[in-house]
Order: sequence, then structure tokens, then C-alpha cells
Amino acid sequence: MSIAQAEAQEIQLEAPSGLWSEAWRRLRRNPGAIAGFVLVGIFLCLAIFAPIIAPEDPRGAGVDDLLNRRGPVCCPGPSPEHLFGLDEQGRDVFSRVVYGARYSLAIGLVSVAVGLSVGLFFGALAGYFGGWVDSLIMRATDIMLSIPGLLLAIGLVAVLGQGIWQIMIAVGVTQIPIFARLLRGSILATREADYVLAARSIGVPGRAILGAHIIPNSISPVIVQGTLAMATAIIDVAALGFLGLGPQDPATPEWGTMLTETTRYLQTAPHLALIPGTVIVISVLGFNLIGDGLREALDPRFRGRA
Amino acid sequence: MLRFVIRRLLLLFPILVGLSILVFLWVRALPASPAVSLLGERATPESVARIERQYGLDKPIYVQYWRYVKTVAEGDLGTTIRSRRPVTDELKERFPATIELTVAALIFATVFGIPLGFVAAKRYGTWVDHASLVTSLIGISIPVFFLAILLKYVFAVKLGLLPTVGRISVLIDIPHPTNFYLVDAILAGDPEAFWDVSKHLILPAIALGSIPLAIIARITRAAVLDVQNEDYVRTARAKGLPPRQVDIRHIFRNALLPITTIIGLQTGLLLSGAVLTETIFAFPGMGTWLVEAIRQRDYPILQGGILFVSLVFVTVNLVVDISYALINPRIRVS
Repeated sequence: MSIAQAEAQEIQLEAPSGLWSEAWRRLRRNPGAIAGFVLVGIFLCLAIFAPIIAPEDPRGAGVDDLLNRRGPVCCPGPSPEHLFGLDEQGRDVFSRVVYGARYSLAIGLVSVAVGLSVGLFFGALAGYFGGWVDSLIMRATDIMLSIPGLLLAIGLVAVLGQGIWQIMIAVGVTQIPIFARLLRGSILATREADYVLAARSIGVPGRAILGAHIIPNSISPVIVQGTLAMATAIIDVAALGFLGLGPQDPATPEWGTMLTETTRYLQTAPHLALIPGTVIVISVLGFNLIGDGLREALDPRFRGRA
Repeated sequence: MLRFVIRRLLLLFPILVGLSILVFLWVRALPASPAVSLLGERATPESVARIERQYGLDKPIYVQYWRYVKTVAEGDLGTTIRSRRPVTDELKERFPATIELTVAALIFATVFGIPLGFVAAKRYGTWVDHASLVTSLIGISIPVFFLAILLKYVFAVKLGLLPTVGRISVLIDIPHPTNFYLVDAILAGDPEAFWDVSKHLILPAIALGSIPLAIIARITRAAVLDVQNEDYVRTARAKGLPPRQVDIRHIFRNALLPITTIIGLQTGLLLSGAVLTETIFAFPGMGTWLVEAIRQRDYPILQGGILFVSLVFVTVNLVVDISYALINPRIRVS
């Protein structure tokens, strides 16, 4: 890098636009991130307007003779009346997929919220206080991370019992150590910054420094991780559902649960597996695209470029 | 170096203690008490009390924990509820299957992931790069169980090319001294059995390995892009070394650091993924074993299995850390 280039970059770094407005500007120019927003937007609409969009009750209630409807061989594939065909119980797969968006997004959001809030709390404690507090919290995360994520979630479901709230907690808990370590690392890097020293020297109390200076400046990797964690949470929830550890009521239109029995019908009714699976991939892809876009937009090393 | 290894080994101790406490408390937190799960739901209070005395469940909790640690240290993980066999016996049959599967998956992921990422970085910005980015993005977005179902559908149901159930055909009968079926086939000197076992391994390994492949490709691409612009690479080029040699000796070797880390980090993903993959291909490994145990509430299997898998995971991470230090001179010095 030439001196002129270096100077040019410095000048750009000093430009008045703040981190967030610049990040937003860069995000809007990233086609991948836009695609991500569109995909996630579609799923949000499906989830919110599910009763309007879905032609039938996802549980198949209110339809006479459900089992007759699917015919002797399981199961009728896509047709004009039933966009995604019928499942082995004679229910409309399209309606189930639409309502499934509610479950996946809600469970994903709550579990990330659990992992994020608890993780951030402990991460902030560890990063700010250091010393034995830090060692204690970090050893605890070591122990949690030493159990493979899905097994930890399975173990928690075994203790808590099956149900939607239980899954949210189980998936959320597996994410706690990740957020705790992330924020801790980020805080350790910010803690030594000059503006923190300045705040301390004029007598700002510790908690205020943590809340007003350190956390806001350490938060951007957490936001990126939060978006990517949504993607992981949707997959983990679906995995629990697939293993039969999902919502207690098997009629619940949860995407992973919808996939459980379908391997039996792969020969005659592949749509039963292909449709919910594809929907999971698309929604996860949406969050991954946004997360990647955010990472690039918030990374100071990329600032000033494009 | 030795000091680093010792420090890393010392760190292992609190993890092991914590892990054993966690698994111990976990069983006590389960809705069904061990006595009830042994005797069944219709057990009388007297027989429950008798079992609790017999197993020391009436003692204070720290006494119970100490007993638990001692039995586990002796290699006793208890008896399963269903088959009444020692958990370790079943473990010896199941674990080699999962090792065979995860190692095959990791080989698949590394052999294809590294070249894919390398080529993408060398052709930065071209369609090759874009294609590999899209592939790896889909790769990290696809749940392993859905990928397994897709593979099963295409290669087994549609094309009828590969078997989709189990580890070996029913008709092939070889002794299983090691329970690593590939090794067993070699020991038996039976090429047909070897080929049969390999065929059973292909689809599950691809399903399990694809997501690590995508991640490895992404990291390789990023690492090569980073290293490519280093001064020493430019120097190597400037002094007229052939491009191939610069690629291998300067770029690839230095990019290998982040790549080895990320390969090591895949272990957890592989162990979690194995649970799901095995379920779909009815592959008799740790995964199907644990899932059956959940369905049948066979808690001794779950307790022993989760503890064992976590121990393996911790050990692999330790080995990864140490080998990372061996490769990276900067860590070795400090």
C-alpha cells in the first residue's frame, strides 16, 4: 500500500458517517444480503398471515374423510387443488408448510433470544471483571461446549419433556456458550481502548462504562452471530423434530416433524420429504445470507470500500 | 512446547470434573427416577425403596457422586434397561461404526473441500469462484438429515445404485473381531465383503461430509486469499519461483493453519450429524443407539453414551490444539 493510499483510507475512516449508517449503506449494495432479506421477508409474511394464506387447517380439522382423501396409495402429489399435495394423513401440505413458518420462526427467535441474553450476560461479566469470574465462566462454557450441540439439546429435552417451550430452551441453551465467548473476546479487545480509560479517569462508574462504552462497541460481532444463530436454531429445531423430539402433538405443523416419517414414502410420495426440506433450506439460506452481508458491512477492515 | 501440552492437559481436568457432575446431575433431574426406570411404572413403593438402598440412592448426593465417579473410572457404565447387557459391551459394537462413518466423512470433506476452496481463491471473482461460493452457501444451509434423505432418494430410490440400510449385506458373513467392518473385511481377507462395506458407507459419508466440506472450502478460500497478498508471496514470485511452487510452498502451507483449525472444529458437527445421518440410513452406530435409547427411555445408555461421546470430543479437541501448536511456530514459542 502506498502512502497516498494509506492517507486516503485514513481520511475515509474519519468521514462523518457512523458505523451503522455506513453499514446499512453497504448492506443495501450487497446483492446476497438483499436476497437474504427477501427470503426472510417472505417467511415473515407466511408466518404472520398464515391464516389468510393457508387454504385449509394445517391439522386437517374441519375436513371430512381425511384418510379417504389421500386415496389407497400414499399420497397424491401436487395438483391444482392442493399446491404441494396431501400428506399420509390426507392433510394439505401447503397449509402445513405455511403454518410451519410460524413454528420455525417463533421457536428460532425465542431460542436465539434465550441464548443471546444469557450468553451476553455471562460474557459481559467475564470480559469486564476478568480474574476468577472470567476463569469460572470460561470453564463453564468449556464444559458446555464439550458436549456436541445436538446431544446437549437431546439431553435437555429428556429432562424438560417434549413441547414447544422445552425445545426453545434446549436449543437456546446450546447457544449460550457461543455468545458468552464471543462477547467476552470482543470486550477484552475494547476494554483497553483509550476512550474507556478516559471514561474511567473522569470517574464514570464501572456499570455505566460497561453499558455506555464497552458493550455498544463490542456488539457488532454479536449481531452477526445472532443472525447466523437463527439459521442454526432453525436447523436444530428441525433436527429435534425429525428425531421425534419435537412438539408433543404430532399434528403440529413443524417442518422437521413433517420430515420424520417421510423416508418410508420416498418411493411413492417424494414430495412429502422434498417440500418441507426445501422450505427449511430456503429459510436457513435467508438468514445465512443476511448474516454474511452484515459481517462484511460491519467489519471495520472492509469499511471505506465499495 | 512441552509446557504448552502440560498446560493444555491441566485444562482438561476441570472439564472432565464438570462434565461428570453435569451428566450425574442430569440423570437425577430426569422425570423418571432410576429405580422406577429399572422396575417399570407399576413398581411398589417397597421395591423402589429396596432398589434405592441397593444402588445407594438413599445416601447423600456427594456420596452418590463419588460412587458414580469411581465406577465410571473403573470402566463400568452400568447396565442397559432393555437388553440387560453392560453399556460398555454395546458401546464396543456401536462406536467403531460411528468412527468409520465420521472418518470417511471427514476424508471426503477434506479431499474435496480444500481443492475447491483453493481453486476458488485462485480464480477469485470468476464464475468458478461464484459457483463455489454458492455451493458452499447452500452446503451450510442444508440440514444434514434433509441432505441424507435427498441422497437416499436420488441414489437409492431413483437410480438404485447404492444400498441405503445398515453397514453390510445380510448375506455376507464375516467375523467381527474389531467391529470396524472395513478392518474386519481385510482381516477376513474377503474383498467382496470389503467392497460391500464400502458401498454401505458411501452415501452416509457423503451426507455427513458435505456440510464440513462446504465450511472447509469457505475457510480455504478465505485463507488463501489472505495469504496470497503477503509480502513473502510477492518476494517468492519476484525472485522467479515457478507459480506452482509458490502455490504449494508459500501460499498453501501458510493457509493450512486456519484450515487445520477448522477441520478440527468439525468434530462436534460430525458427531451431532452422525446421530441424524445414522437414523436415516439405519446405520447401527452411536447415533441410532442413542436415539433408540431416548425413545425407550433407556437412561443408562444415554448417560454412558453422552459421557463417552463428550470424552471423545474433548480428546479430539485436545489433539487438534496440540497439533495446531506443532504446526504453528508462533504458538510454540510462547
